[in-house]
Amino acid sequence: MSEKDGTVGVGGLTAGTDGESGLLGRLLGGGDTEAETGGEGALRRLGLGVLGTAGFLVVWHLAAAAVGGILLPSPVAVAGAFVTELTAPATFTLPVLGVELGATRMLVKLVESLYHYVPGLLVGSVLGVAVGVAMGWSRALDAALTPVTRVLRPIPPLAWIAFAIIWLGVNHSGAAFIVGIGAFWINFYNAYSGVEGVPTDLKEVAASLGVDDDLTMVRKVVLPAASPSILTGIRTSIGQCWMIVVAAELFGAPGIGFQIINAAQNLAMDVSVAYMLVISAVFLVSDGLFRRVERRALEWRA
Amino acid sequence: MAGVNDVREEGSTADTASDTSGTSDTAAVRVADLGKRYDSDRQTVQALSGVDFAVDEGEFVCIVGPSGCGKTTLFRTIAGLESPTSGEVRLSGERVDGPGTDRGMVFQEYGLFPWRTVAENVAFGLEQQGLGGEERRARVREMLDLVGLTEFADAYPKELSGGMKQRVGIARALAVDPDILLMDEPFGSVDAQTRDMLHGELLDIWGATGKTVLFVTHDVEEAVTLADRVVVMAANPGQVREVVSVDLDRPRERTDAAFAEHVERIRALIGE
Repeated sequence: MSEKDGTVGVGGLTAGTDGESGLLGRLLGGGDTEAETGGEGALRRLGLGVLGTAGFLVVWHLAAAAVGGILLPSPVAVAGAFVTELTAPATFTLPVLGVELGATRMLVKLVESLYHYVPGLLVGSVLGVAVGVAMGWSRALDAALTPVTRVLRPIPPLAWIAFAIIWLGVNHSGAAFIVGIGAFWINFYNAYSGVEGVPTDLKEVAASLGVDDDLTMVRKVVLPAASPSILTGIRTSIGQCWMIVVAAELFGAPGIGFQIINAAQNLAMDVSVAYMLVISAVFLVSDGLFRRVERRALEWRA
Repeated sequence: MAGVNDVREEGSTADTASDTSGTSDTAAVRVADLGKRYDSDRQTVQALSGVDFAVDEGEFVCIVGPSGCGKTTLFRTIAGLESPTSGEVRLSGERVDGPGTDRGMVFQEYGLFPWRTVAENVAFGLEQQGLGGEERRARVREMLDLVGLTEFADAYPKELSGGMKQRVGIARALAVDPDILLMDEPFGSVDAQTRDMLHGELLDIWGATGKTVLFVTHDVEEAVTLADRVVVMAANPGQVREVVSVDLDRPRERTDAAFAEHVERIRALIGE
């Protein structure tokens, strides 16, 4: 079954690139023999993944050669630009302390983005979880605030950009504000539905075991019971907030997103793509780390 | 008074207080003329009507009846999770107006905290009482020993079988030393073999702790296996049809003629 799937997948990638399918066919054949002798599904999967990636790069390379470097930079050019940006020396001034630090250009841009990503994500998430838990727990609060949240929630975070600019300016605070709004709603919704879904049984058991105040009930029963949903919210916002960071920086706040558009305006498309890959790398690392934390915290889950 | 007919005749202990004639104000559980009505826009449901019986201290009483007879409503009212529309429940003379640690509850679906280990589940009520570290650990050990789960102290509920989960539920309920153990179809989700084993264990625990036990079930054989007395309920509206005493020596054998007689009698009352 999977053998067939693999063939179809690679075939799909090679469609339109004459002359390469023979090579890929041979590569695929080799991969198959290796996987079969190894007898490992995981190894076979890895092999196909490598093949798929190689196929993608080949198609990219050929397409870039066909249309020219401005419209589509080649993977080789992007790799070159990535290394240059990663190693080119630059200095970074700590915003509050005013101390100048030596770094590389890519690192400086990344740190600049983190300067609004991290505070926005933290403040937005904490507020989102707090309001979500409070509304999920208190019927009165739920009734009072549901109309407001229903109206505000569908508004995309970027729609607030004008207010971010006139209230806070085109800077870290403005971008952090936008990121925070995004993080708030994701975490609000997950915390709220998590709290609503806490089984009545557990609250009744706790009451029969002597829990007689709301604070203890929330702390010892509701929060742990809702934690899978809350952690999912946090993980979702870790990813979504990178999308928002880039969008917010397109309006001028410094960082990776700004660098993507800035390089493109100077027709350095290879640099632009290199910074796109930075976003991807940072997301993969942070998501991977958080998944680990999540797995440990939710070890009890069936 | 809903046809209460205590058939217990000869020489068992402390029978007088279980009479429902009003002299039982200090009974462990006194359910007095209890009624519960659910009103909705379209209809009114009389879940309980004139339910009246008493349970002695240290007594094991089962409540049986067909589905819809209000036995779960009765259980929840005694637990303090629902309030009656008429009548009242008194525990040792004190009126019930909410859940409390004087009643340990055991549910059919266990109600274990999945994020807590077995030991942490048992410790939950002790934490609320403010019992300190070493004392608490000792009490948890004692309870786990009682239900035979000492070596599973650090396991999470997901790692346990249904029977083991319910042992944890019982240990957790008993840890805070309640006067009464309230059990709602506690063995309804385990297989027959495990259920038989748990019956024996529960009776051992009951013997060792001397707790008053109120046990809801739809299984007549289970009721006759366990109970000193069986409160037989009928539906529409939920009411007590009769209270049947089971004066048989324990452990009881299902193949025993007297056992079968009791089962037959109760089944006839229910109309099975």
